[in-house]
Amino acid sequence: MKKIISLILCCLLVGSLFVGCGSKEPKSGSGKSTEIVLYQFKLEIAKQLDAAAQKYMDKNPNVKVRVESNGEGYTTTLKAKMQSGQEPTIFNVQGPSDVEDWMNKLEDMSNEPWVKNAANGTLTDVTKDGKVYGLPAAIEGYGFVYNKLIFKDAGIDVAQIKDFASLEKAVKELDKKIKSGALKEKYPDLEAVFEYPAKETWLTGQHTSNIALSPELKSSTDAYNAKSIEFKYADQLKKIIDLQSSYTAAGSSRDKLAAVDNTASVENGIAIGRVAMVQQGSWIYPSVNSIDPKVAENLGMIPIPLEGVVEDSIPVGVPSYWVVNKDATAEQKAAAKDFLNWLYQSDEGKKIIVDEFNFIPPFTNYGDLKAKDALSQAVQEYSSAGKTIPWVFNGYPNGWSMDVMGTQIQKYLSGKATWDQVIIEVKKQWSELRK
Amino acid sequence: MKQSKKLFWTFLMPSLVSFLLVAVIPMFIGIFYSFTDWNGMNNQINFVGFQNYIKILTNDPGFINAFVFTLKYAVVEVILVNVCALALALFITSKYTPFSGFFKGAFFLPNLIGGILLGFIWQFIFTKGFSSIAATFNLPFFDKWLSTTQTGFLGLIIVSSWQSIGYMMLIYIAGLTSISEEVLEAASIDGAVGFKKLKYITLPLLMPTVTVGLFMNIAGAFKVFDQNLSLTSGGPYNSTQMISLNIYNTAYTYNDLGAAQAKAIIFLIVVGCIAFIELYLTKRNEVEI
Repeated sequence: MKKIISLILCCLLVGSLFVGCGSKEPKSGSGKSTEIVLYQFKLEIAKQLDAAAQKYMDKNPNVKVRVESNGEGYTTTLKAKMQSGQEPTIFNVQGPSDVEDWMNKLEDMSNEPWVKNAANGTLTDVTKDGKVYGLPAAIEGYGFVYNKLIFKDAGIDVAQIKDFASLEKAVKELDKKIKSGALKEKYPDLEAVFEYPAKETWLTGQHTSNIALSPELKSSTDAYNAKSIEFKYADQLKKIIDLQSSYTAAGSSRDKLAAVDNTASVENGIAIGRVAMVQQGSWIYPSVNSIDPKVAENLGMIPIPLEGVVEDSIPVGVPSYWVVNKDATAEQKAAAKDFLNWLYQSDEGKKIIVDEFNFIPPFTNYGDLKAKDALSQAVQEYSSAGKTIPWVFNGYPNGWSMDVMGTQIQKYLSGKATWDQVIIEVKKQWSELRK
Repeated sequence: MKQSKKLFWTFLMPSLVSFLLVAVIPMFIGIFYSFTDWNGMNNQINFVGFQNYIKILTNDPGFINAFVFTLKYAVVEVILVNVCALALALFITSKYTPFSGFFKGAFFLPNLIGGILLGFIWQFIFTKGFSSIAATFNLPFFDKWLSTTQTGFLGLIIVSSWQSIGYMMLIYIAGLTSISEEVLEAASIDGAVGFKKLKYITLPLLMPTVTVGLFMNIAGAFKVFDQNLSLTSGGPYNSTQMISLNIYNTAYTYNDLGAAQAKAIIFLIVVGCIAFIELYLTKRNEVEI
């Protein structure tokens, strides 16, 4: 009896070895159904994307669309998936260096019906040798997102903020009002004017730096081809960083900011009225709306001014592109392309993009369908007025934006390096990484 | 005899095969890649000889910093954990302590929580919890933890010690209880009491346990990754970045798998040497009755 039991146990143990070996590779064909996997990094639309996939599957019973979303570490897990054989059918790339890196996995999409409807300039980063490889997911813009009500109650007329000097003046005035307790009654949680999450090296190293490098480098592709940078507007960038970091709840201990994360700026910052202004973009609307719809509908956006250079425009660009895996089967590729086309060009899909994802569509054929939320409208206004500068950070050398620029900004804020040392170091690293 | 040899190999096979597939073969593949400039994504694999190794050893201050930091961390952590674990083990196994079962369970509990989760919970305690203590009681010591290198270091030490002390304590308890009572009694009769007994009788007999404990601890301390990632992410400005995180970043942020593999090989050699030296030293001190 004992022998039989121990034999069974041994077999169970050995059998459990093979449990982990199941292959999750999507299957296709066999006449029944095609399964495609979509792997993306925008967590703010994860639920809505699931719902959209469900709608598509209801209309196309032969296709199964599985959506997987991952925010932090997306590039790492994407590489891991590719190497382990669990390759997604649709995934995200962000700019010319991603396109270059993933070139042997990208399906040519030049003949897709949406190509001719793409907005001007949205396809340059994913076009190589005349072929289009990606579908732009959205247009986003960022700047100083501010709470209109707080500024109004502080008696500051935002329309008067036209350049760095007037912005600085307004910030100082708001700071005085906050410190004097004049706004305590109406905004009991209001602690400071700004929050600057220096822990988020993408926010500092990509977005803040873009303000100074966009006028210098002019486009992602130029940035991608630049073997070195001059950093002409380093001083003006310093002023922007100083302005944001000196008027936070951390006060003069700016080194604290190196531990402040994105939630402190959005969900725990502007959404609850703890701060009045943050460097963020049109993407934060859904998060703020889920916490306090009243704050969300009273958000506005003003440019981050680069003193004496460009003071009235916001950086606008495409945050990611949808690409199709060239190594998927023919049925999977067809299903993937059809899904993307449905999502972005069908009437039902267009409504999803604008109303549920809160995206600004990067296409010209959306007619009157415009994003209705306060921030997307602000971005669209700047766009229509031509007051935009391009995003160039998608052409930075791999790792430079977050690991070099972002960490150097942290060093500067903690006083461990002077601004001049920071600039010398980041320029040196850029040239090194381009070798 | 033949039958037992067959049985021997049948039972050994699964573990041996898994070990080969998961540890040995990848190591050799890694050595191969460390001589190339592969970026982990495309199919261009060019041989570059020892270029990766030279670059790492001469032109990569980040790696050297990570190494020195990890070394400091390992020394402090190993000493702290082993001394505390031994003290706790002595305390729990001594005749004067009641509820020893409860204590064993209580001290071991932290070890059951996974590394990343632990890191995030403690991160919350260090940043939000400590700053409210600092604000309420006006103790600047508790302010802005994890935003400076020193507090990041202390934070890492606290978290991993908290997790490891319980585990090491159990190992020491096992070692202590395996020392036969008769030997200890004989020692007391001969006049060895208290601290003298500890130093001349208990510790030498405990050496095999210490060997095992130190060995696991040192290797583990060098390889720390999850607490590093979730507690500080290497910040501020990569000053609390340990070796594993540095290698991970080289591979996935900088897309330089060749250099990352080279770093991993260097790491393997160094930790291997340290572990073997430690093993040799402690084995020499083992005493058998």
